[in-house]
Amino acid sequence: MKSIKKISLIILLMVLTSAASNAQKEELFFRAAGSPPDPKVQASWNKYYTNAGIYDLCSKLAKAYPNLVSLESIGKSYQGRDIWLLTISDKKAGNPDKKPGYWIDGNIHSIELQGTEMALYTAWYLCEMYNTNTFIKELLAERTFYIAPTINPDAREYFTSVGVPPRSGLAPRDNDRDGLFDEDGFDDLNGDGEISQMRRKNPEGNYIVDPKDNRRMIRVEPGQKGEYELLGQEGIDNDGDGLVNEDGPGGYDGNRDWGFNWEPNYIQSGADKYPFTFPENQAVRDFLLKHRNIAGAQSFHNSGGMILRGPSTQSGYAEAYSRADDAVIEALGKTGEKILPGYRLLTVWKDLYSVYGGEVDWMHGAMGCFVFSNELWTPYLMFYDTTNTDQYEFDRLLLFEDAFIPWQKINHPVYGEVEIGGFSKNYGRLHPGFLLESDAHRNAAFCIYNAYHLPKLEVTKVTVKNLGGGLKEVSATIENKRMVPTHSASNLRYKIDPPDYVYIEGAQSVLAGMIVENEDLNICREQKKNPARIEIENIPGYLGGGAQTGGGGFAGGRSPGAAGNSNIIKVKWIVKGGDRYTVRVESVKGGTASAQSN
Amino acid sequence: MVKRLLKFTFLLVVISSIFISESLAQFANHRALSQKATKLATDYPALCSVKSLVKTPGGRDVWVLAIGTGDRDSKPAIAIVGGIDGSYIFTRELAIGFAENILKESATPEIKNLLDRITFYVFPDVNPDASEQYFSTLRYERLINDRATDDDRDFQTGEDPFEDLNGDGLITLLRVSDPAGKYIESTDDKRVMVEADLSKGQKGTYLLFSEGIDNDKDGLFNEDGAGGVDFNKNFTYNYEEYGANAGLHAVSEPESKAVADFLYDHFNIYAVICFGPQDNLSQQTPRGNERPAPSGQQTQAIQQQQGRQAGERRITSVLRSDETVIRLVSEKFQEITGLRGAPPSKTSPGNFADWVYYHYGRYCFTTPGWWFPSERGKNTEVSFLKFAEDNKLENVFVPWTEIKHPDFPDKKVEVGGIKPFAMLTPPADKVQEMITKNYKFIVEVAGMHPELEFIDKKVENVGSDIYRITLKVHNKGLFATCSEAGANNQWTRIMRISLEPAKGQTILSGQKVQRMQRLEGNSSSEFSWLISGKGRVAISAGALNTGTISTSFDLK
Repeated sequence: MKSIKKISLIILLMVLTSAASNAQKEELFFRAAGSPPDPKVQASWNKYYTNAGIYDLCSKLAKAYPNLVSLESIGKSYQGRDIWLLTISDKKAGNPDKKPGYWIDGNIHSIELQGTEMALYTAWYLCEMYNTNTFIKELLAERTFYIAPTINPDAREYFTSVGVPPRSGLAPRDNDRDGLFDEDGFDDLNGDGEISQMRRKNPEGNYIVDPKDNRRMIRVEPGQKGEYELLGQEGIDNDGDGLVNEDGPGGYDGNRDWGFNWEPNYIQSGADKYPFTFPENQAVRDFLLKHRNIAGAQSFHNSGGMILRGPSTQSGYAEAYSRADDAVIEALGKTGEKILPGYRLLTVWKDLYSVYGGEVDWMHGAMGCFVFSNELWTPYLMFYDTTNTDQYEFDRLLLFEDAFIPWQKINHPVYGEVEIGGFSKNYGRLHPGFLLESDAHRNAAFCIYNAYHLPKLEVTKVTVKNLGGGLKEVSATIENKRMVPTHSASNLRYKIDPPDYVYIEGAQSVLAGMIVENEDLNICREQKKNPARIEIENIPGYLGGGAQTGGGGFAGGRSPGAAGNSNIIKVKWIVKGGDRYTVRVESVKGGTASAQSN
Repeated sequence: MVKRLLKFTFLLVVISSIFISESLAQFANHRALSQKATKLATDYPALCSVKSLVKTPGGRDVWVLAIGTGDRDSKPAIAIVGGIDGSYIFTRELAIGFAENILKESATPEIKNLLDRITFYVFPDVNPDASEQYFSTLRYERLINDRATDDDRDFQTGEDPFEDLNGDGLITLLRVSDPAGKYIESTDDKRVMVEADLSKGQKGTYLLFSEGIDNDKDGLFNEDGAGGVDFNKNFTYNYEEYGANAGLHAVSEPESKAVADFLYDHFNIYAVICFGPQDNLSQQTPRGNERPAPSGQQTQAIQQQQGRQAGERRITSVLRSDETVIRLVSEKFQEITGLRGAPPSKTSPGNFADWVYYHYGRYCFTTPGWWFPSERGKNTEVSFLKFAEDNKLENVFVPWTEIKHPDFPDKKVEVGGIKPFAMLTPPADKVQEMITKNYKFIVEVAGMHPELEFIDKKVENVGSDIYRITLKVHNKGLFATCSEAGANNQWTRIMRISLEPAKGQTILSGQKVQRMQRLEGNSSSEFSWLISGKGRVAISAGALNTGTISTSFDLK
């Protein structure tokens, strides 16, 4: 019986070896640096995924990498579509929800499709590189990625099928305040699935056809005669109120719906009833509230080539920023500028505009995360040139006019004979196919870099000193090896997460516990309550971080005169009994670590 | 012996709680209030419907009554809200009392006529988890619902509640004789504890806490008991992020969300009457630059926290046209209720009344509906005890009595103070009178509603079957068609005026549908059209919150 087993094993081995050698003979690819040569899940990155495509890719990843990937629906959209979330982490190396987590979402604005592809690429890349790349393998042992490719599936469906939705989701809204909902949207008059421009021949118009490129309309100089007028986007006055396309589907802004620094629509256009009006955002909120380990986040938008950081309002309002946090954000963002040529690190309120109730503000202010929002795609990527950003030329030379819908005559019920044409909806703010993969990779690399710099705690030293009389002094050193602190300034101000806890185990009793503020001068701060679990307000990263402005003290990681860096925390206990002691640190956003004394 | 003592104490507690419930029989607990609400819908099926909007975290219904004739959701409406603040227990009676009174009088010509024109949405208690504490065996003024929250942000929930240390079923105060204390007995009334004033050479002799034990030994007393989130701190105007009992974010609670949703979805509502701690009816609103928010002062701390920028579209004080209406309504309120002076002022960030005006964009009238008269600048507790004496109100004060306290084993500790709710609740013999007066006030205010009519209608035959139609839309009400604060708010409607030509007619000039700007009370705007062709044209004007009027012209 035993020998039969053995024989079949040998046969199996022989078959496998021959199969492998056959495959070697028929190898079709030679590995390019930094990309998976032969991915288990085939994916291409020169096209956009529909909702069905997103689910297909996600479920294939979950099936191919069960030890790395979990796929779940975190809620339903307004129209009942699932909001899918991938959790990616080495499950064998620890509970993913206990490791420092990094959140990625895309497509909150419906027309900003490619955030989804950036998110999907990141997920795919992490999985497909896990077995061949040491860095990725270690990263997934220590960190968890939570990736929601689209948090606005309704409007994605709309965009990738029938037409051009607004920025919002598709919950009906009465934008013109006449008691009717979504009654006057764009109309696809020529039935091509696109909403393009309307122009009409009119000698009183201000436009002429560009003599150098007959696709382009140019404005005439004052006093010059025009031949066309532009009539806006394709549509009619459906409700007969004298306005065209003034109340289309949806008509709000999902990114003005978050529960921090929220303001109503007359102050912040796009805001709705109150924070978290919309089910898509509620789903994200509820997931984050249950996953406090998420310490960093990226929310993808388009366009303009920006690495956006908060605050989104001049003073940050209720948000807390500290100099130490700023140093971390700047360091991460500046590296981002290297990773993403053509992208610049910018501050929302100062360099873009003020935003109230934005997603990143909630994540930073209310959840204590380190957050960036990348505005994907910049015209710089067309010719790697900041001075030539001519879309018509790029379309002609590199896309062979694939992005242009030629002007076509139709009969408009109000305007009479008009022509419809212009750039297609997949052009202008969206990456052309051949540039999508390269930018996806760069943005994935930026996310990976951020995730790498989430706190990484180590108990680097545990020493024991005999004090006599059965008493011992146990000292421990804890270090955060990365840039991001366990607690941001907002986290400290609002006590969003509990402090980091340092436990001692192995003693009969713990008589006293203290934080060592200055080892040389023997300045300690005793913790009177529960000394076996010392509470550390914050463990800064190696750039500091977390301290409140002007707060100083221990939280700032600047123990005056102390030797060493702010990211190193020293504690000690006076204990009775035991001879080997384990020191364990537990941090909601920094993970856990432990070490034993000799 | 100990056992017997315990038994005795238990008996005392039981007796005292029975006594309490008897002496306050005039107020309805949640169950009784629910029965009252549903009974009204049964008794007046043609005029009143009731529904539960949501269940609170404590499993209680938030009721709303709709009162009026015909299609109630299509007529201009006023919402009346009680129970906004759980310590103002009387406000629930004011709200349900309004519903009972108006239905009782619904056969009179005045009320019948009013109910044909106006719908009333009555919310008797929007925060029933909080108000139920009044009827509990442990009575204290409670503002928060039953959601388990970490009020002191120490990552435990509900770990430091009140304790009834003297077994009287009430939570009052705890004073500890201590040389480091900051409090002394007031010279005006020795029962009242006041802060010592160093500048007057006073030194404190007492520590003062709420009645209870420092269960979690953090130096704070009763700072994290049962619940919860305060409905009246959970709204978006001046919301305080991570404020105590403010909720995870604005409108985070089922009650606040359900009430906000109902109001937002009812575009026919043009005014809201709030019975609660905020007040904008007791005084004439001052003119000029110093125009405060409806609830009184702005909460400066929040303004600072948020560092609001200047020159934004933000509205931070009552706008002029709204101020005129509020002044008119205030005068009516004072005239009808006879209430004088200002109630003890209470401000809170994220309060409901401010939200109504600033974010919901509707006229907001807010009042506690009753208060005891107090002298300006005088300690309110001293004033109240004087008021109680003058009106022969007994049983409003728990005399200071010594107890043993585990946190102060070696110190003299006494429990005592004004009974919870006593200062916020009218004397028993005033209850019905105040309900009736507030009812009458609301009826009076409702009569001022915006109301459209066409005036100066005119048709001119220009010749060759071309006709000019001219008319004015006149608001004959005293209220504007929309509050000024709501004019740019997505959640108010813009009136339309539309003209429907007959077959074969064409509009030569003028619009088929056009927007009408808001009309102040007693003001009008003129419209005209040029129509070619004979036949009848129909014209209608208005919006859900003003009612829609229509007329027609035979062009011949």
